[in-house]
Amino acid sequence: MSLIPPPGSIIAADWHRCADSKEYFSKILRKMRRKNFGLLESPVMPPHVAVDTVHYKIFISGKSGVGKTTLAARLAGLNIPNMHYETTGIETTVVYWPVKLRESGRVLFFRLQLWDCGENALRRFDHLLPSCKEQVDAVLFLFSFTDRMSFDDLSNQIAKWTGPSVGRVVKLVVGTKFDLFMHCDVAERDVRNFQETWSLPVLRTGGEVSDGLGDVAPILNCLAENLWHQDCVTAGSAGHHTQQETGTLF
Amino acid sequence: MMLQDGSLQLLCLTASSGVPLFTRGASKQLPFSVIGSLNGVHMFGGGQGVVLTCCETAGGGKVVWRVFQDSVMLIAVSGGRGGGGGGQGGAGSSSKEEEVRLQRLLENVWSCMVLVLGQDELANVRNVERLKRDLRSCFGLIDQLLEDRQEGILGNLTHCADSLLPPNPALLQEAVENFAQSADSEFGCLIVHGKIAAATEKWWRLAPQEVVLLSALMRSLSASGSASCDYPVFLPQGSPTVAHRLLRFQLLPGADVCVLCGPTPSLHRAESGLVCRFWSPLVETLRDCLAVGDRCLPGSVSLRPDVLALLLINRETRRSVSLVRTSTNHPLGDPPLPSKARCWELLKLFYIFSTTRYFSQEETLGLEERAQRGNTEDFVLGFSHQPLQCYLVTDECKSFGLQTPQHQLFLLIPLSVPTLALRTVATQTLSDITAATAF
Ligand SMILES: Nc1nc2c(ncn2[C@@H]2O[C@H](COP(=O)(O)OP(=O)(O)OP(=O)(O)O)[C@@H](O)[C@H]2O)c(=O)[nH]1
Ligand SMILES: [Mg+2]
Repeated sequence: MSLIPPPGSIIAADWHRCADSKEYFSKILRKMRRKNFGLLESPVMPPHVAVDTVHYKIFISGKSGVGKTTLAARLAGLNIPNMHYETTGIETTVVYWPVKLRESGRVLFFRLQLWDCGENALRRFDHLLPSCKEQVDAVLFLFSFTDRMSFDDLSNQIAKWTGPSVGRVVKLVVGTKFDLFMHCDVAERDVRNFQETWSLPVLRTGGEVSDGLGDVAPILNCLAENLWHQDCVTAGSAGHHTQQETGTLF
Repeated sequence: MMLQDGSLQLLCLTASSGVPLFTRGASKQLPFSVIGSLNGVHMFGGGQGVVLTCCETAGGGKVVWRVFQDSVMLIAVSGGRGGGGGGQGGAGSSSKEEEVRLQRLLENVWSCMVLVLGQDELANVRNVERLKRDLRSCFGLIDQLLEDRQEGILGNLTHCADSLLPPNPALLQEAVENFAQSADSEFGCLIVHGKIAAATEKWWRLAPQEVVLLSALMRSLSASGSASCDYPVFLPQGSPTVAHRLLRFQLLPGADVCVLCGPTPSLHRAESGLVCRFWSPLVETLRDCLAVGDRCLPGSVSLRPDVLALLLINRETRRSVSLVRTSTNHPLGDPPLPSKARCWELLKLFYIFSTTRYFSQEETLGLEERAQRGNTEDFVLGFSHQPLQCYLVTDECKSFGLQTPQHQLFLLIPLSVPTLALRTVATQTLSDITAATAF
């Protein structure tokens, strides 16, 4: 089992705040808002700044009403639903996110395609889950801070995505509705214990959408970092350290 | 009066026992006792061999009932149009338009329920609690129907597909056909700004209600901004008990393509293998199509300046184009012209006015339903021929309707245009559009 890289060890944390990231982030923004890309579009850099784009498929898991559709919209900078309308099939959302690798200083665009399927639709139609699992790179396990049961059920959910049949999948836990602290049903201590037991990153989301990138950057960076790390491990090198070694060899 | 002016509530109950399944609409819910009575009076009628379909309250409100598959009863309650329909309604019985609208609403709501859940679950209610829970998955589409806020969308009313006529139809047509075929499907459709810009030949063989319903679903999916979808859908006429898959891809924001298919291909495969292959070469064509915008008609069509708004229906293909011109300082704007939103409203009202009184609607309504409704004025039924034109002058604008074997055209025209010129405006507008677009 590959260990999780410490946050910020592979990619530059808070890079969106640095001056040298401007020209990259400006490609995913329009008039201070996030740009919505159709499938035929992608961020375009000037020819002398060649940037590779790496593609990943991420499945969002969690019970009905936990906030899957909301999280996908938030991460993509789309309008956030204020009502709960069940998602009655699979909806995917594409997020482009520029990232700077710490060691090499190399910049990459991560194209994260988030797969969101309504929990009730998953139960009603057998063919949806296999489709979500096909060539998946990561799973976001969602629980809601206002729903204890969703937290207690996490271990069951994660167990379904563990074992030889599943293959390598990055796993992240996201607690939603963190803004509704008046109704908070999951204590900070429980989250810490969980994190220690499972050694999985646990992130938080909720509240008003700020116009900056600050509220989505921690989740997207964490996801990107773990995906990149997994790729390095899969590629046979034991993570970024080996890359560094080869770097010094040549 | 049961509800406030202009507000609308939808009730859904089991037909056999009157158990409430859900209510949507007006923020202030009707009291349970009223819901019970509405169901009771319908049941009482049933016991006497009478089917209660509609009634009017003293305050101008309306109640419309309809039972589907002997299983589910839908009731629409409206608090009256609150001055909304006053202008046109003044010409005849003021509530006919509202009644037609509510009947249409119930049909559409039922179609939505079948689309999402399939007919089996709705027609054979085994477990009421489970059905109640499952029905929640229809609320998104149902609320969209109740709000009916999208300007430029008339298909829910006309059951003709709202269309956009692209500047370069042949290229897009070919691309849709090839794309659908490559996805093992005969049913494909390109939607731009929520309107059909091109579709495979088979797409037009779906029932008109289904085409409209799928367009509505596509619009709501497109509005979310998501990149692609794999939605199980039942077709109320064509496949009410077996779900198909609706695969949808956002090519550009505002331009979506969809196909109806069976178990293959997977969403992942269709998206990574087919979307770019077929559509990348057409990015500029798609952008030209997006640029048509609200106008729905390509630049090659030039309309007379005295056309304020129009709805043109092709009776054979069950397609329509519609537009309202936004001209704040229109040369003919004295007295002031109705606002854009009001024009859309007036266009709908004039459509209902004409089709319930004078023009035929044989394609949209089943025979049984037409007999039930009996909206067409007696004198029309008493004649062996069909009216071909009609007009209406109100204090807001003039309206003219024109019917040919192929088309129906509904026009709004500023008051300043002399009434005797309306016919010329209409015939010329019809030929302006049909000559340039072959619509
Ligand atoms: N305050 C707050 N509300 C949230 C948050 N996330 C989701 N919600 C609300 O929770 C409700 C359900 O959210 P959705 O994202 O639609 O739930 P879902 O997981 O997609 O549900 P299904 O599609 O039925 O599986 C909505 O009314 C959201 O507005 C959050 O972080 N904070
Ligand atoms: Mg959802």
